[in-house]
Amino acid sequence: MKRKEFFQSLVPLAAAVPALRAGRVFAAPRRPSVQVQDDPLPVTLPPYLVAGDTVGIACGSGPIDLKEIQPSIAVLESWGYKALVGHTIGQKDGMFGGTDAERTADIQAMLDNPDVKALLFARGGYGMVRIIDNLDFSRFALSPKWLIGFSDVTVIHAHVHQHYRIATIHSKMCNSFPDVYEKAEPIIKDCIDSIGKTLKGAPMTYVAPHSPLNREGAAEGQLIGGNLRTLENLAGTASDFSTEGKILFMEDVEEYYYNLDRMLWNFRRTGKLQKLRGLVVGGFNRMMDDPKEPFGKTHYDIITFHTKDFTYPVCFDFPVGHQKDNYALRCGQVHRLEVTPDGVRLTSVP
Amino acid sequence: MIIPPYLKPGNAIGLVCPAGHMDADRARDCIATLERWGYTVRVGKTLGRSFHYFSGTDEERLDDLQDMLDDPDLRAILCARGGYGTSRIVDRLDFSAFSRAPKWVIGFSDITVLHTHLLTVWNTASLHAPMAGAFQGEGATSASVNSLRAALRGEKATYRCVPHRLNREGQAEATLVGGNLTLLAHLIGSASAPNTEDVLLFIEDIGEYLYNLDRMLIQLLRSGKLDRLSGLIVGGFTDLKDTVVPFGQTAEELILDKVRSYGYPLCFGFPSSHQGENYALKVGVRYRLQVGAEGATLGEL
Repeated sequence: MKRKEFFQSLVPLAAAVPALRAGRVFAAPRRPSVQVQDDPLPVTLPPYLVAGDTVGIACGSGPIDLKEIQPSIAVLESWGYKALVGHTIGQKDGMFGGTDAERTADIQAMLDNPDVKALLFARGGYGMVRIIDNLDFSRFALSPKWLIGFSDVTVIHAHVHQHYRIATIHSKMCNSFPDVYEKAEPIIKDCIDSIGKTLKGAPMTYVAPHSPLNREGAAEGQLIGGNLRTLENLAGTASDFSTEGKILFMEDVEEYYYNLDRMLWNFRRTGKLQKLRGLVVGGFNRMMDDPKEPFGKTHYDIITFHTKDFTYPVCFDFPVGHQKDNYALRCGQVHRLEVTPDGVRLTSVP
Repeated sequence: MIIPPYLKPGNAIGLVCPAGHMDADRARDCIATLERWGYTVRVGKTLGRSFHYFSGTDEERLDDLQDMLDDPDLRAILCARGGYGTSRIVDRLDFSAFSRAPKWVIGFSDITVLHTHLLTVWNTASLHAPMAGAFQGEGATSASVNSLRAALRGEKATYRCVPHRLNREGQAEATLVGGNLTLLAHLIGSASAPNTEDVLLFIEDIGEYLYNLDRMLIQLLRSGKLDRLSGLIVGGFTDLKDTVVPFGQTAEELILDKVRSYGYPLCFGFPSSHQGENYALKVGVRYRLQVGAEGATLGEL
């Protein structure tokens, strides 16, 4: 679903918006402690889940109703897990799933609860960056668990990767689960199943068709990435991240083409495209243009332009993004990327 | 801080498009006005040119601006319009001749890239001021356009703005830095990012979603760009958009939230904007900001 539309679709137009609490507290800024690594430090994989384990559900960004997360609870239970519904589910503060303090407290409780083995964010939207500096990851770092989501949750992926070297799962969230799993299209089922596989520790293999703009090659590296606009917004902050020696993946939705170009200039000018092992391009969906002043290039052209000076493999149309085919990826885990004339294969390396 | 020489009658000004396309017709009033002010105008080859979204290919825009930077006869370069595209060429510009004979670079919006780059890398002042479009018709005699004329002549301006209920009173003297918020955020982490320690920061923007405005300010906050300011000057935030589930705060409220814990003076509604008044501000020059019950003044020292 469209990100901006999703903001709009949750609540009837006439619904009153609760007054926001004045005086949100923001953490004092911290300088990034980015260490540029030739060969990145190893990443820890949290324990994989076994039947009977508990998966927490919470909102770090936009709001969601209890009813809307029922399909995801049904699927989690069908996999043998218990769902722990956080108190932000059903909360709403403007466009957020609770105030900054409520969202922080809910996520903090999930991070600190030793019974919770994974935390599935209910949806994206906007808001994670407002609270990330207030979260205390010290207990999480001692006993890691899987943090799951995409889009605005990209903040978590980058922050946790850079500071704690702990793997996370980039995948669909509760709001993308089909109402009835059994009746869903095969591709949707397959993507939902992929979340279960990443949680269980299954070896993962993803394929994508050949695209004429791909650059062939093979590489191995830790996966890092997510939503491009969210990643760009982290530059200079405590969640800024190194891409050196890694396989970067990116996706976005409803951005202007000129802004895609500008974001990639930020990536170049902050050194994030130069030393990749590979680039995996997911969906860039429903991109926008000013009809009076068309940018004149597609996302294929723009990304090809920005990577033409480098030699690492590049693939387009990878099944990740704001779209049906959005497979779960274990961020931080080493993967092997193979871009050949026959197509693309990305495989997790045990 | 390097302050380029002010202009005298007979000096030459270059007119260039480093970013978006502009029809030559739309710059006619600007050229006539600059000539009426006593300057000669050298029109760059990118004015009136277009290549897709831009006023020429990267190479054409780069060459044109480079020529202007290197031309010893020019005392100022007026960017005819913003749009998008300066980020694409800034790292390929050679400022060595410019640094030996600095001149005023004028513009705003996308030209924020040049302002902060000149300040951070070359320690050189530039002019955040109206561009060619603002000179059209009656605009040529507007207070904003006249403020550019005064700035080019070396006059020290003092600007006033009306009281605002969210202002924070106080005063400070410091170097002025700023521009378009989207561009300031976009530059963080790059070589052109502004240093915002002990400066008066001014920001303005147009056409953004409120949540995106929030996200950009959070980036400034989280990257330490707001905690050591001497003062914050908030210009126009116009044509803002909201999601149907509203963000729940106005631009002013969400800006205030980010700097609530700091004590420096804060002024809203300053006449620096894409729409309405847009007074010439010398980026890199020291100003005194005074915010009181009767409003705010910003005066060049």
